[in-house]
Amino acid sequence: MKTKILVANRGEIAIRIIRAIQELNYDAVAIYETPDRDSRHIRIANEAIWIGDGPRSDYLDIDKVIDAALRSGAVAIHPGYGFLAENPEFARACEDAGLIFIGPASKTIEELGNKVKARQIMADAGIPMVPGTANLSPGEAGLEEAIAFGRQHGYPIMLKATSGGGGRGIRRIENEDELAEQYAIARSEAKAAFNDDSVYLEKVVVRPKHVEVQIIADRKGNTVHLGTRDCSIQRRNQKLIEIAPAFHLTPEQSEAICETAVRAARAANYFNAGTVEFLLDADGSFYFMEINTRLQVEHTVTEMITGIDIVRTQIKLAMGKDLLFTQDDVQPRGHAIEMRINAEDPRNDFMPEGGKTISVYRSPGGYGVRLDGFCYQGFTIPEVYDSLLVKLTVFGWSWHETVDRLRRCLTNFVITGPKTTIPFYLNLINDPDFQAGEFDTSFLDTHDHLFEYEEQVSEVNKLARLIAEIHYKRQNTYAA
Amino acid sequence: MTRITQGMAPSEVLAILRQADGYYITNTARDMSQSDYKNRILLHTDLLAAPAREAAGYFSLEITGGASVHVDILRKQVDPFLKLELLREKMPDTMFQTLCRGVNLFGYRPYPQNVIRLTVREFAKYVDVWRTFDFMNHIPNMEAVFEEVAKAGKINEPCICFSTGPEHTNDYYIGKVREILDVTGDEIILCIKNHGGLGTPRRIGELVNAIKQAYPDLVIHYHGHNTDGNDIGRITAAILNGATIVDASDHAFTGFYGPPPILTVIQTMKDHGRTAIGIDEEAVIATSDAIRDERPHYAQFEAQIKGFLPTVQIHKLPGGAMGSSLEQASKGGFLDRMPDILHKELPRVQIELGNWWSVTPGSQILWTTAVSNVLEGERYGNPSGDLKNLLLGKYGPFPFYRPEDWIYEKVFGRNWKEILDKEGGIEQIEDMDIEKERQTLTERMGAEPTEQQLVLYLQHPNDAVDFFKFEEKFGKAYVLPPSIFLRQGGFQLGETLVFRDDTGKEHIVEIGPAQQTDDGETNVYLNVDHDQRLFVFEPEAQEGSAPVAQLSKQEIARLARQGDIRAPFAGNLYAVSVEIGQEVAEGDQLAVLEAMKMQTPITSEVAGTVSEIQAKVGQALQPGDPILTIEIPEE
Repeated sequence: MKTKILVANRGEIAIRIIRAIQELNYDAVAIYETPDRDSRHIRIANEAIWIGDGPRSDYLDIDKVIDAALRSGAVAIHPGYGFLAENPEFARACEDAGLIFIGPASKTIEELGNKVKARQIMADAGIPMVPGTANLSPGEAGLEEAIAFGRQHGYPIMLKATSGGGGRGIRRIENEDELAEQYAIARSEAKAAFNDDSVYLEKVVVRPKHVEVQIIADRKGNTVHLGTRDCSIQRRNQKLIEIAPAFHLTPEQSEAICETAVRAARAANYFNAGTVEFLLDADGSFYFMEINTRLQVEHTVTEMITGIDIVRTQIKLAMGKDLLFTQDDVQPRGHAIEMRINAEDPRNDFMPEGGKTISVYRSPGGYGVRLDGFCYQGFTIPEVYDSLLVKLTVFGWSWHETVDRLRRCLTNFVITGPKTTIPFYLNLINDPDFQAGEFDTSFLDTHDHLFEYEEQVSEVNKLARLIAEIHYKRQNTYAA
Repeated sequence: MTRITQGMAPSEVLAILRQADGYYITNTARDMSQSDYKNRILLHTDLLAAPAREAAGYFSLEITGGASVHVDILRKQVDPFLKLELLREKMPDTMFQTLCRGVNLFGYRPYPQNVIRLTVREFAKYVDVWRTFDFMNHIPNMEAVFEEVAKAGKINEPCICFSTGPEHTNDYYIGKVREILDVTGDEIILCIKNHGGLGTPRRIGELVNAIKQAYPDLVIHYHGHNTDGNDIGRITAAILNGATIVDASDHAFTGFYGPPPILTVIQTMKDHGRTAIGIDEEAVIATSDAIRDERPHYAQFEAQIKGFLPTVQIHKLPGGAMGSSLEQASKGGFLDRMPDILHKELPRVQIELGNWWSVTPGSQILWTTAVSNVLEGERYGNPSGDLKNLLLGKYGPFPFYRPEDWIYEKVFGRNWKEILDKEGGIEQIEDMDIEKERQTLTERMGAEPTEQQLVLYLQHPNDAVDFFKFEEKFGKAYVLPPSIFLRQGGFQLGETLVFRDDTGKEHIVEIGPAQQTDDGETNVYLNVDHDQRLFVFEPEAQEGSAPVAQLSKQEIARLARQGDIRAPFAGNLYAVSVEIGQEVAEGDQLAVLEAMKMQTPITSEVAGTVSEIQAKVGQALQPGDPILTIEIPEE
């Protein structure tokens, strides 16, 4: 019997991982909740196990996932991103059940998942940090600490839930009055959302770039980086577009950031793939933000410029192999851009378009084009999960070649049924600032005109509607 | 032997025409479409013909105007301006010609001066030759158009409408030419507009000769119709007597009521030693070869009566109105009454009403009056609003004599003299608040209209808005060939349709199955550029499933006396003239209903306050459908 690996995820990332598993000549086991019964990842996997009606609760249910793995005879679990990926309890449960968790050790996840602890580790290792506090004391004392911090470092500051993440549990505070107002609310919200009311403060770096470094390490402590990514174009702290390598960095800056990332990973005794996130200030200084202890959505751009299959490497490392390449072997070249094509209406505050059926799905292809998706014509997008339909990643030797290729792909990408981010992206890549590489995290807020576009109902679909009506009514009533 | 091309100054064109040692030809494709195919020849076909028509070397191509502007947006779903733009791309040298109804422009009733001027200015950007007429030959009705055309640097071609009868003498027409020249000056082309194809070759020859004797330098353009099959004879006589330009069209599409074939004109005149200047005979033939295969798709729009109608000399219906009149007769189920209507009643009404020219909108007034006289059994018992306006002289003075008193009495009642004194005379239409109209249109479209959209809206408000909405929903449908756009009976399963969209991109649509679901919806599957698409159609309200009690004429009249205003006949609600809460007096106009291009005002039978408006402007109403309610104050 072939070795089996279970994929504890859904959607495009499940398929991405299944492909790597199958390429390694293992069998992939999928799991799914009832709303995902028509999802393509079930069809592509070698076997699929239904774990409950969900929604989401069963994908998050550690016991059910472990049980599915044991029942199927899988030896390892890849968690993907989201769901249980950064839950140390899950990693520990795998370890306890004798299953290989494809990712760092549970202890690493736990330490780095606690923002305050992570900052402590990094500070000890001499990694540059945005000024911030430890967990604030409970009650009024905490508020006083906060006020003192604000007076010392100036506003704006971020009030963050210690157990938050992925853009959740963060609020921006502009002045002292607001701090007094928001402090208690932030605590009670953190309690409700994460069952942990601890909060801490960080100085806001105004209009920073979000630059991150992909790192990968084997059990022997060989740690290499796979270069930088720029994920500055975000909406409400959620990434939309990712670019590798980060733009406008001097070779020295790039080297400094990557070297720092490797040091940070070593400081955390990091094993397997991870991402070290930094804020890059306008003056070129950079600050550690956090280490994501999982496979990132945007890992594809790094794969495109390095030629290294990160997921394949993750699995091999987890299965006991050592890194087969050294830092010198990693030679990024060219540019890659990934766009998350979501079923959302950007003009309506990115309102999700779940529940709609994809009536036409026609994707581009050709040189330098990579698609990581899971939809098909006739697929009804479940309302209960995220809205990512497909990631379009393109590679080009120069930035302009890459942008031109992206434009070609977006123009020929046809998804009808739900509204998608495609027309918005088309508008975006034609923006002179984007083309010049001039973007930071405030990009969408400062470029309102990107939201001015017409939904594209293709001309042929309009005409086809008329033809259908002429056919149905047996005459053209608009010409009679 | 100089070819005239688009872009020449009017004076240059006229100088060339005056020295012509042969004759020029206008291809009246628009008139052929209107007279023989109910105006339905699609832009797709005209674009197919364009390269060969350009090469043929015509004086001009009449491709817009008449009823075509309205039908473009109403039935062909094409923007009349875009049409001219696209044709111009393929035909850079050929002058485009329009037929303009003077004060009625491209519609059926008078427009305000500022609307006329705005419309002419917009169309003059594309149109080089402006053939303008008035159905009463009342020259003041055309003056605004003349002025704007001259201002735009385009060629004015005023018409004298031609008809037959004892009043229609050479002296009369020469007088009309003088009136025109007094207004326009000499730099014009004069059109003899023989919209019915009336008179014999000899009569036309005499008329041309008489005008030429009086005005030797005047360039004459003879326009005729082949309804009786003899227009070649009239054209020949016109040329031999001094006409410089004549009208004909492509033989692949010539029918019975429109222009005769160009090639026949050329062949006939050759034998008389007259040359068609600038004409490439090969290209004339090539045009017909290029579009011949399209003709079968238009068969559904050909007139119900096939064959020449030499009786046109009796009924005098213009070629441009033959198709629509016969269609009405067919739809109304009175095709069998045509001999009575055409050969007895129409000539009688014609004489009774003044023996003026049977052309839009006069031809519609004559036709509806004759039809109603025959079908209702009581002559002049059910006069249309337009007939009343005519009798009141709102279109202009009667050229020869006023209809007899008994007709006035029949139409207006016993105190008709008072009404005539009070309301008679030419209608002075106040300028429209164009900015206000622009606002209204912006609201109805949900976006700022272009100047051209505004012009279309001012012409035909409801139909223009419907067209804009159509394009939003169905795109630029003018790209579809007639084999698709005009298909009847649906497509074959598996049939493959290929067409190019407005950007020139080719698309392929394959017809898939159509299935009815349990809830009565129909699913139509199409393969669009190799992707399967599903189109769902809700079940249509079954006719007769909810029987509507038809009210009788008496009941409608009784309700009207109680303030419950119902549609007295089937038609579209053209306008509501009152607002809720408005006080109205007996005889006040409440609304206007439009049927068969004729508008009929609905007046109040009572005094009171408008309490409710049930119908919407543009709505198709059946007899008895509620329009509005007037609350009558209690005594």
